[in-house]
Amino acid sequence: MAHSKALEQIGGLDEATLERRADRRDRWLTAVTFLVLFGIWVGLTGSGLWEPFIKPLFLPSPVAVFEAFQRLLADGYQGRSLAHHVGISFYRFATAFSFCILIGVPLGLLLGMSRPIRAVIEPPIQAIRPVPKLALLPLFLIWFGIGNLSKIVVIAAPVFPIIVISAMQAVRSVSQKKIQAAQALGASTLTVFRRVVLPASLPGIFTGIRVALSIGVTMLVGAELTATSEGIAWMALTAAEYLSTDIVLVGVLIMAIMGYTLDRIVRALEAHLVHWSGKD
Amino acid sequence: MRIEPFDLNGPDRRDGAKLVVEQLSKSFGSGASAVQALAPLDLSVRTSDFLCVVGPSGCGKTTLLNIVGGFERPTTGRALIDGRAIMKPGRERGVVFQQGALFNWMSVVENVAFGPRACGVPAEKARHDARGLLELVGLSGFADRYPYELSGGMQQRVGIARALANDPEILLMDEPFAALDQQTRELLQEEIRSIWRRTGKTILWITHSIEEALFLATHIVVMTARPGRVKASFRSHFSESTDPLIAATPEFTAAKREIVGLLRSEAQRAQSLEAAV
Repeated sequence: MAHSKALEQIGGLDEATLERRADRRDRWLTAVTFLVLFGIWVGLTGSGLWEPFIKPLFLPSPVAVFEAFQRLLADGYQGRSLAHHVGISFYRFATAFSFCILIGVPLGLLLGMSRPIRAVIEPPIQAIRPVPKLALLPLFLIWFGIGNLSKIVVIAAPVFPIIVISAMQAVRSVSQKKIQAAQALGASTLTVFRRVVLPASLPGIFTGIRVALSIGVTMLVGAELTATSEGIAWMALTAAEYLSTDIVLVGVLIMAIMGYTLDRIVRALEAHLVHWSGKD
Repeated sequence: MRIEPFDLNGPDRRDGAKLVVEQLSKSFGSGASAVQALAPLDLSVRTSDFLCVVGPSGCGKTTLLNIVGGFERPTTGRALIDGRAIMKPGRERGVVFQQGALFNWMSVVENVAFGPRACGVPAEKARHDARGLLELVGLSGFADRYPYELSGGMQQRVGIARALANDPEILLMDEPFAALDQQTRELLQEEIRSIWRRTGKTILWITHSIEEALFLATHIVVMTARPGRVKASFRSHFSESTDPLIAATPEFTAAKREIVGLLRSEAQRAQSLEAAV
């Protein structure tokens, strides 16, 4: 009886309320996942409460990592403050990424619009795309020196083709019907581009930017592999040489948080700017 | 019988016709793999005609509309509006597609105002006129919504209002109600008929529904399977009736039977063609 009553109650609720409830439940489940993962970390490492199952050399406890973080905040790392390391890494990443968006998106749009331009520019981009960009690092060092430029180029190298090609594909997959509808309404080529092709491509462009974002953050590690003595990835890499696993973890977590935050920012921008995404 | 055989190409019809289609054909591909979609075809549509083109799927009726719309070029022959050859899309030909042609990033009123604005009407005036048109199609309360928030039937009304906004000479409709449910479709058919009566627009309407053609059209063209050519053409009088239940009359049924008979043999031929491919 109680069961059927509950069913009746659910039947009586409108869809929006049910959706909100499902949302709340999903968020709760996600929170539980992270709590369990964190619990396993605490359990395995003891956190000073019991004997660790894994040696701190391999996996320091959350407490040790937090203490390492506080030490780094207070004293910096190898003569420079933690903020400086984070800042220089962010500078390298942001410069590379801004360049890729500012040049790559318009170039991709152009490629999507014009067959001849596509025939000239797309093949070389497609040919370079599968080349592992880290393999080019020594070359970039020779060409662009050991300063920030070579780091920026390493990050931009895989990001740029992704952004160009996703913008191009977005333009090419704009519904022919929408373009024809605009033409039949008397729109000039420029108006069709500005008011139809461009907004219709934005969801695809955003998807490309989000994919490129995670790859860009990954390339930060490659960029700071050699020929530098600053940056958050460099900090983690050199700390590993001294087996300071706690510092390595601080670096890894900072990069993870950086990637996650950037992704959330782009997602929020996307939800705000392209409310029509996926609504066709 | 409320339909009678009718020659759409009589010499008296071509003079001063709104739309003339002359020996129009279209092939896709070339050489041995070429597929003829449209055999040489002649048509003439006079001002305020409501011409429905009925045919089996793949008979090239959409190709015909695409050529008249200016989206495709014919392989041979030509299509003329008021005696001028059609080379590209133009605002004097309003097009309504089956679905998915609305601009989801613009509100409903901006969709309707798009054409006039593209043709140089100031934005404020275009929006004001658009609201008037939305009233005409029964959507005045939805002007500031986005298309994806509306039902399929409402979206088609927006499409119709958007096409009317440029005050076109002729409306080209590509199965605009095919994706709608029966009730919505019948309601919209009555509405389009009343809009047609009030505005006196010339309409070229593509459909595979015989009832729809009989209910709406002043003239009906029945097309053959690929390559599409005119199998028969009729003058129809059912659209003059104000009886909403006209489809239940014996005359309507008899007319439908006649056209079904013509189309059935065509549909069978189309299927055997598909099988041969």
